[in-house]
Amino acid sequence: MKIDCGHYPLMGGFDELLEAPGKPRSGAGELCDFFAGLTPEELEARHRAVDAAIMAAGITFTVYSEAGNIDRTWPFDVVPRILSKAEWDRIEAGLKQRLKALNRFIDDLYHGQQIIRDGVFPAEVLADSKNFREACIGANPPFGVWAHICGTDLVRDGDGTVYVLEDNLRVPSGVSYMLENRQLMKRLFPELFARYDVLPVDDYTAQLYDMLASLSPRAGDRPEIAVLTPGVFNSAYFEHSYLAQQMGAHLVEGPDLVVLDDDCVYMKTIEGLTRLDVIYRRVDDEFIDPEAFRADSVLGVPGLMRAWKQGKVGIANAPGSGVADDKVVYAYVPQMICYYLDEEPILPNVPSYLCMHEADCEYVLANLDKLVVKPANESGGYGMLVGPKSTSDERARFADLIRANPRNYMAQPTLSLSTVPTLCEDAIEPRHVDLRPFILQSKDFYVTHGGLTRVALRRGSLVVNSSQGGGSKDTWIVQGVC
Amino acid sequence: MLARVGENLYWMARYLERAEDTARLINATTMMLMDMPRGASFGWEDLLRVVGLDEAFHTLYDEAGEMAVMSFLIQDERNPSSIFTCIRHARENTRTFREVLPRESWEWVNELYLYTSTHLGHALDRRTRFEVLTEIIRRRQAVVGLLAGTMSRDEGFQFMRLGRNMERADMTTRVLDVSYAINLPYQNSQYYDLVWMSVLHALSAHQMYRRYVGVHARGHKVLAFLLNDLKFPRSVRHCLHEIQFALDELPGVEPMRHLQGMLNRVDQADYRALAANGLHGFCDDIQARLADLNTVISQTYFRVAHPQKMAQSLFSLV
Repeated sequence: MKIDCGHYPLMGGFDELLEAPGKPRSGAGELCDFFAGLTPEELEARHRAVDAAIMAAGITFTVYSEAGNIDRTWPFDVVPRILSKAEWDRIEAGLKQRLKALNRFIDDLYHGQQIIRDGVFPAEVLADSKNFREACIGANPPFGVWAHICGTDLVRDGDGTVYVLEDNLRVPSGVSYMLENRQLMKRLFPELFARYDVLPVDDYTAQLYDMLASLSPRAGDRPEIAVLTPGVFNSAYFEHSYLAQQMGAHLVEGPDLVVLDDDCVYMKTIEGLTRLDVIYRRVDDEFIDPEAFRADSVLGVPGLMRAWKQGKVGIANAPGSGVADDKVVYAYVPQMICYYLDEEPILPNVPSYLCMHEADCEYVLANLDKLVVKPANESGGYGMLVGPKSTSDERARFADLIRANPRNYMAQPTLSLSTVPTLCEDAIEPRHVDLRPFILQSKDFYVTHGGLTRVALRRGSLVVNSSQGGGSKDTWIVQGVC
Repeated sequence: MLARVGENLYWMARYLERAEDTARLINATTMMLMDMPRGASFGWEDLLRVVGLDEAFHTLYDEAGEMAVMSFLIQDERNPSSIFTCIRHARENTRTFREVLPRESWEWVNELYLYTSTHLGHALDRRTRFEVLTEIIRRRQAVVGLLAGTMSRDEGFQFMRLGRNMERADMTTRVLDVSYAINLPYQNSQYYDLVWMSVLHALSAHQMYRRYVGVHARGHKVLAFLLNDLKFPRSVRHCLHEIQFALDELPGVEPMRHLQGMLNRVDQADYRALAANGLHGFCDDIQARLADLNTVISQTYFRVAHPQKMAQSLFSLV
């Protein structure tokens, strides 16, 4: 089991490390040499060490299934994915531009809705939005920023173009795995880091802390910050506790908090109640306040919205930001960038067909076998139709779904996602990847150096979600490679 | 510190202490049984009584043979105090507050759990039992050492210290109470010394006893050592002092008031008289007081009963 560049079975699309068999891309040569130089036994030993380290660290995620919740260890692949600093600089600028426009958009929707009045964004899309929160109308979060943490999914097509696939603005997860992956690589392949200038990723939690602290309603050096988790049974609980630990913040559940008559939020501590300044919520906004939203929620805190609207507590992401995390709204982001910022989009969208437009809808229905169809408001890769891999029954079912509720569906051409060499059972083979960088915004911007590269471990699969057989890789932004 | 987190830390420490104490007890008992005459009445049934699980055992098993008792105490998930259940609980608790502990502590507790879940089967067999249980003790001690060496003496640390010593004091009185009852028939026999020595062994106290008290295990001296010695870390008095030091670092006065009564009781007891008569009542009393203290600790720190009222009193302080 060696990385032998000469016999690497390229899949025909864009490979992130190799231009052709035996021909590494600029900057990837050292990496390929290194892996080629390891004996199968050495590689196997390192691989086992990785598994043992992941097991010991308890880096897990939870998969919900009929048989109960299963705690799985995080599948990690040892071959890193490399991006040059020059390419990354452009991507980073594009990500900041995009989030800036999205935040202007959200703020506009909860105030004058100028973009609708100017005819750039259709009123009917907003009218059907599942994630527009009336309770947020007129709210003024600090800096006019609603989505403070964004996990944007990027993919690279066969011709090498990097597209934005979706903007995750509700409770994007994965950043802890990005940080853990780097730790693992440094521990297990230290000699590789001597050969490359890899930009560090460790800074993220300090940046996250600073961003959250900037939302504090009280002046002071050490605001009380908490990560609000649905609890230990949530699939991302590992990450919630990891981030709280790294920031020295509290990890709280809804029942740990209470809002009193003064509209401030308090934590129940061993000394009584302590005022809380900022909440990094990892609970969907529907559930955060049974007074304002779902009355049946036991994960939330009654009165939280009241406290937030009066500026007594900072919440990231602000309730209501999910309105821009919608696969139909996504299609309008390039127009938003022009409209709010008067700039050209740096990163292109994947061409999208919105079923709400009659012509698009007809095209989609006629080409279901070629397209990927997505519901507007699902995440985690659920409820999708991957046309080329679907059966005629599945296509018929989707056609009915689309006709019944065209606003809820959009479609995109099936991209031939780029690949990266991946250690499979008995060989190194190409596997499809995407990339999720994380962007922070409050009074400043911050973008992670790289992000989480997710890899579809099943041969030919395009689904990278960890809940559906995906794994991950360390992502390297490398200086001095052109 | 969040009330919920404080409570989880307290119980995490109790579970780990219980797992280690049970492992020590089983090791000591296994060793001692080899010294007893065949057909002696001390048996596995008595071990169940020591840990207070005889009734629970008999709802699940018929006969208290070695295999059944070992399986029940070591790996049976239906037994809330089995070594495996305790370690699993401790691990689950540790997960819920990874953010307040040094990072390695989760890894080490997790490794302790992984080791336990894969090796416990070998602890059933006498040949490998000692080795496996000793490794569990060693790994648990590593966690204690890690925390001692890397964790700030903050409230979280104090809650673990509380839990560890509450559990240990409870275990010491239990082992004493039941062992004494079992030993009664052997008063004046050649096994008398041996049985009291086994009590010391069960609490890992034999070496320190010999060093500071003497080579012969005399009833009243063993009692005074295990209940009232100031320096031995498993004596009830030492545990109570540890609890006192932990409470000193925590808010609230009620738990300290309860503790004081218990300290006086231990301090003023007549151990020579107790060795002859009344030990059971004495141990019962200490155990009841520990249970009371547990309730008071829970009410003081873990149940924020009337949020509105507490907040007002908090404001009046500012």
